[in-house]
This record gives sequence, C-alpha cells and structure tokens, in this order.
Amino acid sequence: MNAEELLSRLGAQFAGIEKTSVAVKDYPTVRLSDPSALGAVFSWLKKQGFEYLDMITAVDYKGPVSPKGYVMDPNPNAFLPEGATPQVEAPTATPGFPYREAIELVYCASHLKGKLKLFLKVELPRQNPSAPSLAGLFKTADWQEREVFDLLGVRFEGHPNLTKILTPDFIQGHPLRKDYEHVPDRFDR
Amino acid sequence: MGVILERLPGVAKGLPGGELLLTTADTVIDWGRKSSVWPLTFGLACCAIEMMASYASRFDFDRMGVIPRPTPRQADVMIVAGTVVKKMADPIIQIYHQMPEPRFVISMGSCANCGGPYWDSYSVVKGVDKIIPVDVYIAGCPPRPEALQYAVIKLQEKIMKMKLAATRGAAPQQASGSRELDPAKALG
Amino acid sequence: MSAPLVTRQDEFLKTDELFINLGPQHPSTHGVLRVGLTVKGEVIVKAVPDVGYLHRGTEKLSEVRGYHHCVVLTDRWDYVAAMPNNLVFCLAAEKLMNLQVPERANYLRTIMCELNRIASHLLFFGTYGIDIGAFTPFLYAFREREMVLDLFEMACGARLTYNYIRLGGVMSDITPEWTSKTREFLDYFKARLEEYDSLLTYNPIFQDRTKTVGLVSADQAIAWGLSGPNLRASGVDYDARKFEPYAAYDKVRFEVPLGKGGSCFDRYFCRVREMGESVRIVEQCLDQMKEGEFMAKGVAKVPKPQPGEAYAHVEGARGNLGIYLVSDGGQSPYRMHVRAPSFINLAILQEILEGKKVADVIAILGSIDIVLGEVDR
Repeated sequence: MNAEELLSRLGAQFAGIEKTSVAVKDYPTVRLSDPSALGAVFSWLKKQGFEYLDMITAVDYKGPVSPKGYVMDPNPNAFLPEGATPQVEAPTATPGFPYREAIELVYCASHLKGKLKLFLKVELPRQNPSAPSLAGLFKTADWQEREVFDLLGVRFEGHPNLTKILTPDFIQGHPLRKDYEHVPDRFDR
Repeated sequence: MGVILERLPGVAKGLPGGELLLTTADTVIDWGRKSSVWPLTFGLACCAIEMMASYASRFDFDRMGVIPRPTPRQADVMIVAGTVVKKMADPIIQIYHQMPEPRFVISMGSCANCGGPYWDSYSVVKGVDKIIPVDVYIAGCPPRPEALQYAVIKLQEKIMKMKLAATRGAAPQQASGSRELDPAKALG
Repeated sequence: MSAPLVTRQDEFLKTDELFINLGPQHPSTHGVLRVGLTVKGEVIVKAVPDVGYLHRGTEKLSEVRGYHHCVVLTDRWDYVAAMPNNLVFCLAAEKLMNLQVPERANYLRTIMCELNRIASHLLFFGTYGIDIGAFTPFLYAFREREMVLDLFEMACGARLTYNYIRLGGVMSDITPEWTSKTREFLDYFKARLEEYDSLLTYNPIFQDRTKTVGLVSADQAIAWGLSGPNLRASGVDYDARKFEPYAAYDKVRFEVPLGKGGSCFDRYFCRVREMGESVRIVEQCLDQMKEGEFMAKGVAKVPKPQPGEAYAHVEGARGNLGIYLVSDGGQSPYRMHVRAPSFINLAILQEILEGKKVADVIAILGSIDIVLGEVDR
C-alpha cells in the first residue's frame, strides 16, 4: 500500500475525511471533520495494518503565545551585552497565518511492514474541547492522552484515568495553551 | 556521639583550660567529618550523570572519602544535581529534613543554582537555595566531575573551620534551618 | 476439633495489601521516578508510575526561543544521548526551512549519534548491573564511556550536552587526530565487548535473574507503542534508521539486532549487540567520508521558516524519537512536540509489573532504560 492508495481508500471508507491544505512535510496528512468518528477511523486503520500509534499531540491555534505564561519576561535579549543586535523578538502574529479559535489534535500512526506513516488531524473548539479516547484501541494512547489533557486541556471521553500527569497539582490551567497565564505560586517568590 | 557533642561545649568551657581542649576537639572532630563526607545518591537530571561519572573509574571519588549512601539517614551532604522542579521541591525539603545534623548541601549546575536554561519556565524552581540552604555552588551546565571534586574540597575546607562551641555541632548555615515555604504545610 | 486450628493458621498466614512508595528519591529508579506499588505479600497487585518530577516545560519554552536556541533545549531531554536529540530537532527544522545539509555533515552526524549510542548503552550496561546486584560492570562501563566522552570533548568541547549538531550541519569539523583517536578507540572497544559478554551476559546468575522476567509479547509491545531496543527485543523490526533512513544511514551496512521473547535479558542483549553494530557504522563512515563542507551556506542567524508543519524522527538510544514542529512564520517555533520514547516506553510498566515479585521490580524497570529528562521534558 502506498500513500495515494491509502488516501483514496480512506476517503472512500469515511465521508468526513479530506486531504489537508497544509500537510506535514513528506507524509500523507488527512483531516477528519467529525471528532466522534475517530474510533471508527482508527479501528479501520488498525485492521489495515496501522497498528502502531506513534504520537498523539495537539496544537492551540489561538495566536502567538502570551508572555504571561512565563515566570519572568521570556525575552532572551535581556542577557545580551549593551549595544548588541537583538536576537529573537517576542512572538508576534504573522499576517496571513490562519489563527483561529481551535485546538487541533494530531495523530500519527505507522504501518510497520509497509513503512508508511499517516497523520490525521481533528479540529476541536477551544471552549471545552473533547474527543473520544483511543485508549481502548491502542494502549499507548493512555498516557499520551493524559499528557494532552494536562498540557492543553482536551477531554478524552471514555479514558480510564484522565488525570494530570506532568504538571504539579497546584498549577492551574493548561500550560501549552497560548493564552495560559502563570499564577505565581509559593516557589516563585 | 550526639549527646557528647551537645554537652561538650558547656562542660569543657567550665574546666580550667577548657578552651584549649575544645580547640583540639574541634580539629579532631572536623578532621573526621571532612574525611568522610558521605553524599546522598540523589540525582535529579543531567548533572547526576556527571555525578555518577565522578564516582566511577576515572575520577574515583572514593579516594576523597566520598562514598554514596542510598538513604538520607546516613548521609552528610546532599548533592542537588539537576533541575529542581516544583513537583520535586517538597520531596527535596523532606529529604533534607531527614538528613542528620550537621548536613551540607552542594548545588551542582546552573539549574540548581538559578534555574539555568529554564529561567522563565512555569514549573522550575529558580534555584535550590529558594527552598534549602546551600553551602557550595558549582557553575556549569553540567559541571565536569573535576568541578564537583573541587566543590567537595571547598566543603572540606569549610568543615575544618567549624567550631563546636559556636554551633553546637551544626553547620553555620543550618542554625535557622530550611526555609518554610508554606507555614500551613511546613515539614520537619 | 480440627476446624478452628485451620482457621487460626489461615489468620496467621493472611496477608494484607500494603502500599509501597518507590521514589522519587530512590537509588534504583534512574532519576526522579515515583512508582506506587500495592503489594500482597511478595506479589505486586497494582503498580502506578507517577512521572512529572522533572517536568521543565521545554515545549512551552521553545515557543519563545529562536530555532538555534531550541537546539540547546533539546540537549537536556535525553541527557545520556544528546546527539540524536540535536539531530532530530535539526532534521525537522531543516525540513521546514528546505535546507540541504552537506554530505560530510551527514556523515559527521551519523558518527556522533552512533558514538553517543555506545556511550548511552554503556551507561545502561553499568547501571543495569547495579540494579541486578553486580557492581563491577559499572566500573568497566564507565572506563570506556569516559573514552567516548573524551572524543566528544575533542570534537565539541562538552561531555554531556553537546549542541554539536546545528541547523544546516555541525558545529565544527573533526581533525585528523580525532579520526585516528576514534579508530584507536573502536579497535580497543571491540575487544571490550567480548569482555562484557563474559563478565555479565553469560553470567549464569545474571541470566537466571533476567531471562524469564518482564516478558513483553510482540503484540503487547506494539499496542503500548514501545520503541527502540524494548520493541526489538520482542521481535518487532522497527528501526527509524531502516524505516526512513536519515543522515548517512542509507550509505552504511548494519544489522538491527532482534530479540525473541521480550524478556529483560532480550532487552539487555539487544543493547549490547547494538553497540557492536554502532562500531561497524562508525568504521564505515570514517572510511567513506570525504573532505568537504561541514555546514550549509546561508543559514540565517535568526531563521524564519515559511508557515508549515514538519515531522522528523530518528532512532535515539532509547527508541523512536520524533519531533512535530509547527511554524507560523515567526522567529520561534509555533509549537514543538516531542515524541519522547522514554515517556511512551515507561507506560507499559503498569501492565508488566502486575503479578510480579517485588524483587523483580528494579530488574524490569532498569531493563526499560528510561531517562527521566526525556520522560518529563
């Protein structure tokens, strides 16, 4: 199975699947319009040999990252000597980039024998994003979904144990959201 | 030993020539302490690998009397080797309090000194000295094993200056103890 | 009246469930991992790994750092093998920027990654010996590891966090002296590998302790997304160096060692044999390498790649290390996600520890070979 064949079969099987305008470079990338079909798509993919789930992650497309998410001013130019040319500016919005009120889930699955990787994206609203959990299909989804929940606040319905995994309990909010604001805690004094 | 050390200054000062006796006792006890600085095997991050390298074949920490102890109850010095993360801060305070007096802390590497490359991160404590008192700082990311050995030599120099009468056996910095970050959750 | 006697005996032998807290400060957890073990007698009923004691927020920090600065952050994920970390970030960023890397730089990258694999597996070899109860391998392994680190020091000046592989190539070229020293080391190291085998691999006590412990079937390994030697020990042939060759891996010949049963011993043995393959790769690279540029021309000081997405993955020392990079056209990555092999490998612990004896916990944990910097990032 090569990439084109896979994409056409996937498109024929599921109505909500289309090629993305911006693909992950060098890899077949598809977009799924309806998050509730995730389970069906992945169980079909698993039957086709995509039994290895590489990665689950998510991207917040709200806009450039807020400097309030850092404990101090994150501008590294503060460390430059007097008169040196600034290196990196604080992130600003690039005109033309499609910022939107959405969180995009990115899945990557591998066909080990066919040496093929497939990227699948699902867009969720930023307010109360939720998607069906894949933990029943792929056990590796267990921790990776917890990580996405912890850092970006996506709820995975049907996950056996959706709790914080990386950040300490007292950190409020989801740090990888672009509008995350850090509340100084007892260690920041 | 603890009881003797606690009562020795009071008893010895009352005796004729007691000051001389104390000075000699200081030298003997400090010499004993400095020759067997036992660190806790406590690695946090990258620097812990360099700490392991210092114990291993080429650098051979044993020759300086430095033998790692796996439990805080038997350790004299805690080498904070690596990034102190907020989730780890409370366990570090707890381990520090579990160590017997006199206890020393070596802050190894930029992360433990001041946060290092993570100076603006939301989940890193910007320096271990925000939560426990530190005796020796080592610069570097990570510091070489030689730097760690130099830190131990510096610590030994410090130990040789310790006086029983002034500190009642504890290290100078430890008179006030570690900083309680949250009075409601104060440990120890 | 025999019935009450039996009851009394039952009461006497009855065991309650007991919760044991392993870590975060424990000499055998290889860092700050915490495992909550519920044991009934000697048998583990439930094991819950708790991570995050080294969560440094690298992914968030990368969103305000420049692309060159991000390479520095990558060093500190898997600090035992930092070269593949540098490489995977550079590969992803180069894809975004459409940078062509010179031939010589590709060879240098391959050499450094493989030398680093040797250094990393040596650390595993030493510490796994300690986990099992043999201290001597640690001293042997570190003797050779220091030699590899000397080579790195000659090439880039650092022992652990190299920042050697940069966007567009490598930091500096190697000298003829370096080449001859490396060849000298490789010849020396080949003999040492046999020594390791006689010291630990064929040691009957070590084999008894590991051969039937921590079995992971191929299906299980795939379902949990294991990678690297952990996956290959179960007999699944998945190696990013063969799957999608990067750097100069398509120009060298090497084998991917596979295990059969997926026991702790298989995982250990895969790593030991991988060191031998790494030696082969480095030798071939040194032979094939030609003079030339080591850095692409025209790499911007503050790169601003076109908006787009890229994914790159390499075979790090611990498994399949991937980076998903999104650029919005700014000076820093819009989003960087690390597919951290240690993090994903560690998750299987909750399943394979169940029903095992307490004494095997460290043997199993050590054989997975995690680095906490990569687990928590």
